Amino acid sequence: MKRFYFEEESLQVAPLHVPLYKRASAQDVASIGFGLFVISYLVVFFIISGTNIFVKDPMEINVSKMFQPPSFEHILGTDYLGRDIFSRIVMGTQAFFIPGLLSITISTAFGLLFGVISGFYPRISSKIIFFVLNIIDTIPRFIFILIIIVLFSPSIYLIMAFVGITSIPKITAYIKAKVEVLMQQRFIEAGRALGLSQMTIIFKHIVWLSSKSVLIIHATLGMGEAILIETALSYLGFGVQEPVPSWGNMVAMGTDYFFQGKVWLATIPAITILFTIMGLYLLGDGLNSMYNEKVSR
Amino acid sequence: MVRALRLILKEVFYTLALIIGVTALLFLFFNLMPGDFAGKGEGFPAYLTLLKKLFSFRFGRSVVSGVDIGSIVFPAFRNTLILTIGAIFISLIIAVPIGIFAAFRSFRSYSWPAMVFSYIISSIPVFYLGYLVLFFVSRQTGFLPIYYPDSSAGPYRFLSYVLPIIVLGVGNDAISEIVRLISSELGRVMSTDYVIASKARGESVLASSVNEGIAIPLVSIVCARIPFLIGGAVIIEYVFNWPGMGRLAFQSTLDRDLPVLIVITFLSVLMVRAGMILKEILLYVFNPGKR
Repeated sequence: MKRFYFEEESLQVAPLHVPLYKRASAQDVASIGFGLFVISYLVVFFIISGTNIFVKDPMEINVSKMFQPPSFEHILGTDYLGRDIFSRIVMGTQAFFIPGLLSITISTAFGLLFGVISGFYPRISSKIIFFVLNIIDTIPRFIFILIIIVLFSPSIYLIMAFVGITSIPKITAYIKAKVEVLMQQRFIEAGRALGLSQMTIIFKHIVWLSSKSVLIIHATLGMGEAILIETALSYLGFGVQEPVPSWGNMVAMGTDYFFQGKVWLATIPAITILFTIMGLYLLGDGLNSMYNEKVSR
Repeated sequence: MVRALRLILKEVFYTLALIIGVTALLFLFFNLMPGDFAGKGEGFPAYLTLLKKLFSFRFGRSVVSGVDIGSIVFPAFRNTLILTIGAIFISLIIAVPIGIFAAFRSFRSYSWPAMVFSYIISSIPVFYLGYLVLFFVSRQTGFLPIYYPDSSAGPYRFLSYVLPIIVLGVGNDAISEIVRLISSELGRVMSTDYVIASKARGESVLASSVNEGIAIPLVSIVCARIPFLIGGAVIIEYVFNWPGMGRLAFQSTLDRDLPVLIVITFLSVLMVRAGMILKEILLYVFNPGKR
């Protein structure tokens, strides 16, 4: 009986396809849940700020109510002109929501395109594409954005489009590596033998069925990076300008009063930024470890 | 040895090609830009003079202040170099122990506070962290100075280097990335057969598997972080009034001082490529397969 031990062991073949919900560990569930919570409040804030029903007017100045700490009337207090901080935070999602979506659309679409092309034709086109992408990659992103601001206008849509362009190289590298691995696989060969067209193989089997997870993960992380860059630029005064609220210029405004002990003015938007970015990073990392792939930010 | 030299030469040639590409891209942007300034619309000869200026390190004069650009850029470049290298070391000092700890304890036991700490610390906005540190460390306790100008404080001026370096090292998002990388790589290495065998022999697993598992990915990830650190340096130098390249870039963006910005881009591209060459050399040293 004993000597059949190894043979019995080898008979238990691992199941070919494990459903996603069985692959997730407790850590993944926790981080994805937190990330979905963050995304849901971002979407809710964005929708509310468009309708202007549930929030006070973020531009309404009330000089008799300056620097109020959090209370029932103003949930998160008021700023140096008596404007309600909570409604300004809700309104601040408008500063990055659509531009951030623009940025991740550009980066994933062009990253996918260049990645598939350079993975399929690795000899000439991949060298040219990667030389051009390396040029973009070597310029530090923040300096590149400053040059764009000097040369063209400091519009947030243009800046976010360039943020998207500067994150094309990373996505292209991952998609290219993925395509090169996939081209060696049997099922692509089988698909060829069955007479599937090149387009079906590329768009169905390589892009949709195999590269979806990489794109979703990079889109999540790209949204986090877009928010970071938007807040940093608004903090420096290059992004969204003052009367229009943005989380970055709210922190910048609050730091003027930080040393007087009015700490909540800067702390509340800063904590909002922290939670949002942490949620997006956790969502990306959780999805990443659930799909069990080595994708690095 | 010949192979190493050939590797370095190849990287240097690639760097030269990239710099020519970067300057060509910038030159293309000038010609798309609305407005008029010296050198626009003159085509290829103007590009050649730009290249000549950059490669001879005689950058000419600033448009706004009229100062020689070299005399303001090089001290700033030195300061940013100090800031960046110090920040990399701080990130490594914080992130590597957390990653190793997390890999050994594989999250379910006591390592989750360390992981959560690494996430919080790497997603806190760096400008807010700077003010927080200034408020608590410099103002409330007076423990470390905010900033000493170069000449006035004598030997104590190095104390003012401490806070910006720590904040940049803590506040960039390298920490969670390094932690995740180390914990996953180390987890992979620790489950391999030879590590289990050496565990059974009673050898120290940590020393051997750390060397095997994380040296190569760590080198590549740290060198790839350099452009992001330069970006973070812009904000940190603004918060701490640090006389570096980032604050110079900020100032010249406000002034629309294009020549200074071009020189800053050139120097930071040089810095990034130097990091890449260093990475190739270190990979050659660490990875026996490449020799």
